[in-house]
Amino acid sequence: MSTATAPSAGAPPTAPSGSLLPRLVSAFSGTAGLALKIAALALSNALAVWAIYVLLTRHHWVAVGLLAVATLLLDLVYLGPWRALLPAKFIVPGTIFLVGFQVFPILYTVEVAFTNYGTGHITTKADAIKQIQITSLEPPANGKSYTMAVAHDSGGHLVLILQDDVTKRDFVGTQKGLTPLPAGAVTASGGAISEAKGYTLLHGLALFNVDKQLQTFVVPVGKAGIRPQSISTAVELEPTLRYDAKRNVFVRISDGTVFRDDGNGEFAHGKEALEPGWKTGVGFRNFSRIIHDPLIRKPFISVFVWTFGFAAGTVLLSFAIGLFLAITLDKKGMRFQRLYRSILIVPWAIPGFLSLLVWQGLLNDKFGVVNRIFHLNVPWLFDSNVAKVSCILVSAWLTVPYFFVVSLGALQAIPEELTEAARVDGGGPFQIFRRVTLPLLLVTVGPLLVASFAFNFNNFNNIYFLTGGGPPQANSAVAGSTDILISYTYKLAIATGKGQDFALASAVTIIVFFITAALSTIGFARTRVLEEVT
Amino acid sequence: MSSRKRIGALLVVVVAGVLAALAGSIHVARAAGPTLTIWVDQARKDAVTQLANQWAAKNAGVTVNIVVQDFGSIRDKLGTVDASTAPDVILGAHDWTGQLAANGLVEPVYLSAAVRKEFPAYTLNAFSYGLAVKKLYGVPTQIENIGLVVNTSLVKVPTTFAQLEQEALAYKKKVHASFGIAVQQGSGYDAYHMYPFFSGLGGYVFGTNSAGNLDASNIGVANKAFLKNAPLIDKWNKEGLITSALSYSDAQNAFLKKQAAFYITGPWASQVLEQSGIKFKIIQMPKIVDPAVPFLGVQGVMVTKYASVHGVDSLAQDFVSNYVPTPAAQLALAIANGRYPANTIAGKQVTDPVLAEFGKAGIGGVPMPNIPQMASVWQDLGAAWFKATKGSGATPAKSAFTVAARSIADKIG
Repeated sequence: MSTATAPSAGAPPTAPSGSLLPRLVSAFSGTAGLALKIAALALSNALAVWAIYVLLTRHHWVAVGLLAVATLLLDLVYLGPWRALLPAKFIVPGTIFLVGFQVFPILYTVEVAFTNYGTGHITTKADAIKQIQITSLEPPANGKSYTMAVAHDSGGHLVLILQDDVTKRDFVGTQKGLTPLPAGAVTASGGAISEAKGYTLLHGLALFNVDKQLQTFVVPVGKAGIRPQSISTAVELEPTLRYDAKRNVFVRISDGTVFRDDGNGEFAHGKEALEPGWKTGVGFRNFSRIIHDPLIRKPFISVFVWTFGFAAGTVLLSFAIGLFLAITLDKKGMRFQRLYRSILIVPWAIPGFLSLLVWQGLLNDKFGVVNRIFHLNVPWLFDSNVAKVSCILVSAWLTVPYFFVVSLGALQAIPEELTEAARVDGGGPFQIFRRVTLPLLLVTVGPLLVASFAFNFNNFNNIYFLTGGGPPQANSAVAGSTDILISYTYKLAIATGKGQDFALASAVTIIVFFITAALSTIGFARTRVLEEVT
Repeated sequence: MSSRKRIGALLVVVVAGVLAALAGSIHVARAAGPTLTIWVDQARKDAVTQLANQWAAKNAGVTVNIVVQDFGSIRDKLGTVDASTAPDVILGAHDWTGQLAANGLVEPVYLSAAVRKEFPAYTLNAFSYGLAVKKLYGVPTQIENIGLVVNTSLVKVPTTFAQLEQEALAYKKKVHASFGIAVQQGSGYDAYHMYPFFSGLGGYVFGTNSAGNLDASNIGVANKAFLKNAPLIDKWNKEGLITSALSYSDAQNAFLKKQAAFYITGPWASQVLEQSGIKFKIIQMPKIVDPAVPFLGVQGVMVTKYASVHGVDSLAQDFVSNYVPTPAAQLALAIANGRYPANTIAGKQVTDPVLAEFGKAGIGGVPMPNIPQMASVWQDLGAAWFKATKGSGATPAKSAFTVAARSIADKIG
């Protein structure tokens, strides 16, 4: 085992010339490095303090608490005198990103899975009550609309100067009632009141600043009330629902129907519910729906089997091809090696979104290049079974460069003496490959195979951009022929029932997570067994 | 590190932090006077900015803040945006109304009877929603619908569907094409573009109940009249009149390269058509069994619930219910975006012939249902069309649409 000793801080740098990295490292030890570290810590603290300030003004108390604790821990790790925290100095930056971009979204998804978050249930209960009250206002039969001006009376109180749009009679409205004004007291022109005798009209900023008061200003007229709408109009409206805060119910005024909080995030009377509802916890309802609802359960098994097959097929096919190419190009003294390797990296270099859409065009069975050039009539993307094969082929095409590069590196790490010895012992090329090369290769590449399998198990892009979930199945449920679990979840979330159901999608995601984690754990355990070969 | 260095570092850290906080607080300066925030997409940004500035000029002291968002994501972002950055007014499509109202994100708008008369009833209905009583949630500004584009130098403009079928198939034979009418479907399905065929055969999505509201329990995807006419779809599929293999660009290229003489598209393609040099006319598809009307899309302006949170509710209502419905504003918005205005008085002043033809092609059209349950429909209805017009190996239309109807009913529950 070779060791490299870094020059100690303070000693003059004696790094070998021509080696960039050690020179860089030694340049940043000592005072310059210390100044940089302090600056970095100061910057992150500054950002944290500013963020806390902004969050405080928006009342996000939990976020403030978490951020404060995290910043404090960060400062303790980098400024504290405890030797035990030395490894933490190296791990903390990565951990912060892990927690921020992995752990936090996972926890949030778990939280959402136990609620009813979705269309009709996205706001809070207080807000829902307010919105129901606003939308329950209705113009009464023969309801009137008015041109309005906001004014102060002689006592400085807020009043509304109103002119009936139809009869053109003038009134002054207060929160106590409507009083007619004598003819000629109000001058109006072009749909706007310009003057009212005995009242000071509000204009400009003075008018805009009373908006909050106008929102709650009602001039009672019989059972209805005149409410300001815009800055120059008012409308007669009467409520059709009454909120009883003590009993926590809405009562319909016309027939006395009582709408109760049904524990599902809405006010309902039997099947009739008031909109909007609100987001609330519903326990395990989403999970039980996955198990019991035939609409979701029926395709689950077939989708799972295809997902497994797609991931396994992609990994095995691309590994086989990648390994084959690596072995072929591993010959010493082969000409144009760099050129071949550059060409073979191309599928990896093109952005996946782009190449998938291009493949979708190439594989079109009537106008696609593939069918045209080879004079075929294969329905690449429009037949249920052929589409599955196409998905695996295109996905493998995208993954081959990865396994090519990895296999090349792993092959070069196998000591030549082993293969030489095997050849001396009289082994043919296939035997050498099977007994010597492949096991040693799998030690290195095994974990990568498992990781690639887990990645393709949830490879939304490759499926969705190529076939959109595939040609529809004969017993068309939400799932198409090439839908994998994650694209099936996506369709469940946006194309079911009443709009979007994020809570159900979160629940399905958690189940997919457990499946993927189980498969990966099994896979990693098997690769560890391989290590005992060497 | 020595303790002196440590304290020094700590000091630097704290000072930097305090300075940052101070800088941050100064930066959060509030504009004097109220601000109206409008979310609009890139295509309409200039027209709306001009309109909003004209309105703001009449209300001195108000600042207008135009924020450009991706059109498709305005509806979803509205549900998750933080109140401090939320818009007061949004420009949106009418079929968002149901979902936005069910989420409690938009406020009702009250228009006077005189103003209501200037708009076709269906445009106001398109922005109305309510389980018990329908309320108006937005002011319509533009209408769009697809029409049948006919290459008049290659074929004659058909007056009956039989004539359309005959001409399309004759031209298909002449140029050895694989389809007669270029209409897009593709792997993403497209029930919207296939709707004229659907309505022409007697299909409808949701029926209306006695109060005139859309009834999500009355699904007409496989109603008796439509199923009786469904074998016509099998006939069209067999003779190659339409095919589901075409994507948006395939269909457009086929028409532009004269591989097809008939093309079904909407006003978004009008610029491409005008610049192609092809002589064309846009008509409504001729009656099949029933009038083959298209889906109507209405775009309009809505007031969000955040307007009252920001204290600009009366200003937002003034902009939306007093200013936007005026013919001048309607015309300006519609022309800038290349669509037909919703206000009938503004509609009479439209001079662009292509726009006028698209407007005529939409007469009698059906507004896309704006209830949240519509989300379940698009996928299944599109899939049914896809399977029935696949060419060889297509599912018989009757069974494809029956399966779709059952699936939609299951999903709506």
